[in-house]
Amino acid sequence: MKDMNSGKKLVNKVKNILKNYDFEIIASESRSELTRFAESYIHQNVAESDLNLTVKIINEDRIGAVQMNSIDENTLLKNIEKAIEVNKITPKLDYHYHLVTPQSYKIKSKYSTDTANFTPLNRAQLVSQLIKGVNKRGYEAAGAFKTEESTLMVANSEGVFAFDRGTKVDFNCVITRDNSTAHTLFIDSDINNFNIEKITDELLATALKNVEQIEIEPGVYTVILSPEAVAEILNHTGYTAFNGKTVMEGKSFICNNQGKRIFPETITMSDDPFDELTMPIPFDLVGYPREKTYFIKDGIVKDGVYDHLTALKYNRKCTGNTLSPEQASFGALPFNLVMREGDSTIDEMISGTNKGIYISRLHYVNILNPMSIQLTGMTRDGTFLIEDGKQVKAIKNMRFNTSVVDMLKAVDMISKERQIEEGFVGPTVVPYLRTNHFTFSSKTSF
Amino acid sequence: MKKTLKNILDWLETKVSYADLRFVQTEEENIDVENGILSSYNVSTNRGVGIRVLANGAWGFAASNNLDKISLQETAAKALDIARASALTKKEDIRLAYEDKHIDTYITPIVKNPFQISPSEKIDLLVRSTKTMLKDKVKKSEGSLNFYMTHKIFISSEGSEIEQTIFESGGGIAAYAIGEGDFQKRSYPSSFGGDYATRGYEFIEEMNLLENAERVTEEANQLLAAPPAPEGIRDIVLGGSQLALQVHESCGHPVELDRVLGKEISFAGGSFLTLDKLNHFTYGSPEVTIVADATVPGGLGTFGYDDEGVPASKSFLVNKGKFVGYLTSREDAFKLGLKSNGAARAENWNRIPLVRMTNINLLPGNLELDKLIGDIKEGLYLDDNKSWSIDDKRLNFQFGTEIAREIKNGKLGKIYKNAVYQGITPEFWKSCDGISSEKYWHVWGVPNCGKGQPEQAMHVAHGTSPARFRKVKVGASK
Repeated sequence: MKDMNSGKKLVNKVKNILKNYDFEIIASESRSELTRFAESYIHQNVAESDLNLTVKIINEDRIGAVQMNSIDENTLLKNIEKAIEVNKITPKLDYHYHLVTPQSYKIKSKYSTDTANFTPLNRAQLVSQLIKGVNKRGYEAAGAFKTEESTLMVANSEGVFAFDRGTKVDFNCVITRDNSTAHTLFIDSDINNFNIEKITDELLATALKNVEQIEIEPGVYTVILSPEAVAEILNHTGYTAFNGKTVMEGKSFICNNQGKRIFPETITMSDDPFDELTMPIPFDLVGYPREKTYFIKDGIVKDGVYDHLTALKYNRKCTGNTLSPEQASFGALPFNLVMREGDSTIDEMISGTNKGIYISRLHYVNILNPMSIQLTGMTRDGTFLIEDGKQVKAIKNMRFNTSVVDMLKAVDMISKERQIEEGFVGPTVVPYLRTNHFTFSSKTSF
Repeated sequence: MKKTLKNILDWLETKVSYADLRFVQTEEENIDVENGILSSYNVSTNRGVGIRVLANGAWGFAASNNLDKISLQETAAKALDIARASALTKKEDIRLAYEDKHIDTYITPIVKNPFQISPSEKIDLLVRSTKTMLKDKVKKSEGSLNFYMTHKIFISSEGSEIEQTIFESGGGIAAYAIGEGDFQKRSYPSSFGGDYATRGYEFIEEMNLLENAERVTEEANQLLAAPPAPEGIRDIVLGGSQLALQVHESCGHPVELDRVLGKEISFAGGSFLTLDKLNHFTYGSPEVTIVADATVPGGLGTFGYDDEGVPASKSFLVNKGKFVGYLTSREDAFKLGLKSNGAARAENWNRIPLVRMTNINLLPGNLELDKLIGDIKEGLYLDDNKSWSIDDKRLNFQFGTEIAREIKNGKLGKIYKNAVYQGITPEFWKSCDGISSEKYWHVWGVPNCGKGQPEQAMHVAHGTSPARFRKVKVGASK
């Protein structure tokens, strides 16, 4: 299924077997390679090629799905027969299921031939260069460097045919020397945008400041969050609050706040495949085109994202956020979470802070209270005390228990600069944020 | 398949210092029911081969779902290329701890093959259980059942040939009481999908899901009306299900030797149990003995051999409070001059074996539960995890639980919601002064332990019985 034609052939194969049934198909194929390093040597180095085919049969509001990773004639036939059996024994849904009709798709994933053709030796050479660079300053490097090419096809018996291919570069690294650490993350579709010298310099610049950490007392602080930290917080927020299914069930923060202006006007968050920085996913897993959906617009709480099943069940509009059949009971997630930029530079945000804390990275974030979006987690790899507009000292790691609602209400500066970070489905694009309400609850010893 | 693998191994043998090949085929059945309506029923088959080589003193691994001879030959060649690239940064040749050659088979002992039970029976159990739970403020109920059958063939250049067939069954139910601006969830037999074991359908039958549905609903409704847990310092008793996660996060992960050696530092983090602490560090009170035991019947971390061909074993991690052992792979064990204790496991054919938990068990004490609670003047009984977080060296932790019960003068009292407790790992385990007896001991299956890049979700387990901890910081989420 490397190209559109082989995708169409696969659809026809399934169609020939399933003449009397409505069906949906999701097929994905990937070639993924990852070089992992620690203690300044490559300790794990892997490659995989795989294919996954899901065939979903729909018959009188009964649904049965089978998945397989081999599509030779025998396996395909055997599994589709199994799907027919599954369909017969499954009870009916309590609402009418209809297939998506043919759609047009305005966007495509980003694809780079250079990324697709990047070799293990290419990756090892760049890792080696990074290791040499940080070793000179006494640091060890650990991280992972992934390059990937993938294709995705969604089709159904109504004539939907969506095909897309993309590439991804995903790099992360921590450098360490005793308690001095720094971390970086790079996500892009094009390996040509990857600059190992710049990454090495930035890691060293942070690590050399992150020494002789002092302890501070827990409490409510003004903090400046790096884009990576903002993304971590917003990804969990998206997971717990922006899932349309939880909105319908009365389990989301949105339920009692929809239409209310409870945040500053500068706060706008959306699921936006059209954002120039993101790596767009053009359609969801039933073939709906992706669209821009606001969660918070100019400080006003809007709505969540909806998958096909939830939209049918609750008579809502599907926003193009349907997940795979095995995740159907979850609902929907943002695919391309985006936060609107502000008008400050990061230098202005720091120089305008009398007393505060700069957070580079968060660790092990989890949801404490879904309705107030209270999250917990730790800081790591570079937390700094700001006094009189300057980062004056590194501080030891802290646990935070903070409400995202309170945190966003108190945002008073947002950076012009935004960065692309990891998301739960596609990447998340966010700026730096300064908030006057961030609650630390306890300390740790390093 | 074994013959094809052997041909590839023959081709590799002159080019590598070590190689192993793993064929893995998995059959899976997943059922989700919500409010008495089936929300998803999926069956899947998945198979492929992973080839791992040591060449030029460095590792290479390649995996493919394409099982024809030519494709597997290309996969083997790819693994070799990758190993040569890895060698570019090597400090010294990778070496492996000695392991005997094993030619063996292993099959999970089960009573009822879950794949021979009709889907209708399984769906019906969940439909009835979730319908029963829809009472008062419980507007949403869910139930799930999951079954796995994994067939593995492992062959290595050292002559091992091992075939294993592992059955796993699991499931659970949950009720959501939903009010204005709040909702509370109550689960059974454990949160986040229930309980799992390497057993057959008899494991599901013994859970008595339907019989527990009403109680679960009642507790969810009580939680919605309950006050938040009090803040302060309290003596606490952790129920078995919550204690399983406590063991997982604060003992299971920090004793993984690859973490200790810095191999996971960029992602999941390191460990406070550094090499200098082995046999010289007080991890907990003398009550606390924790073992890694991949031989416990039915444990979700039970198998015949790990994915490096090392037999399942039992070893001590913490003995009467003293830290005495790590979980190891062959490579990491060699660095400490040890034999591997068989904890290198791979999620599937397309992943390399990493140091993973097996069944990490807190051994039972000798107290009756009444006695454990009876010795507390003012405290809380906490059970079933709701939220978890721990720092990157596994010291500062905070857990939230679905339910808290007041303990007043040795008796269980009212229910509190949104309870959390916080601590520092060795201080917390040193505050343990009582563990209930074997009568209350259960091996809890955890099917979603995440680690590594690319990430691998591993099936592990923890044997626990309720235990008492003194002077713990407690509070409530807001």
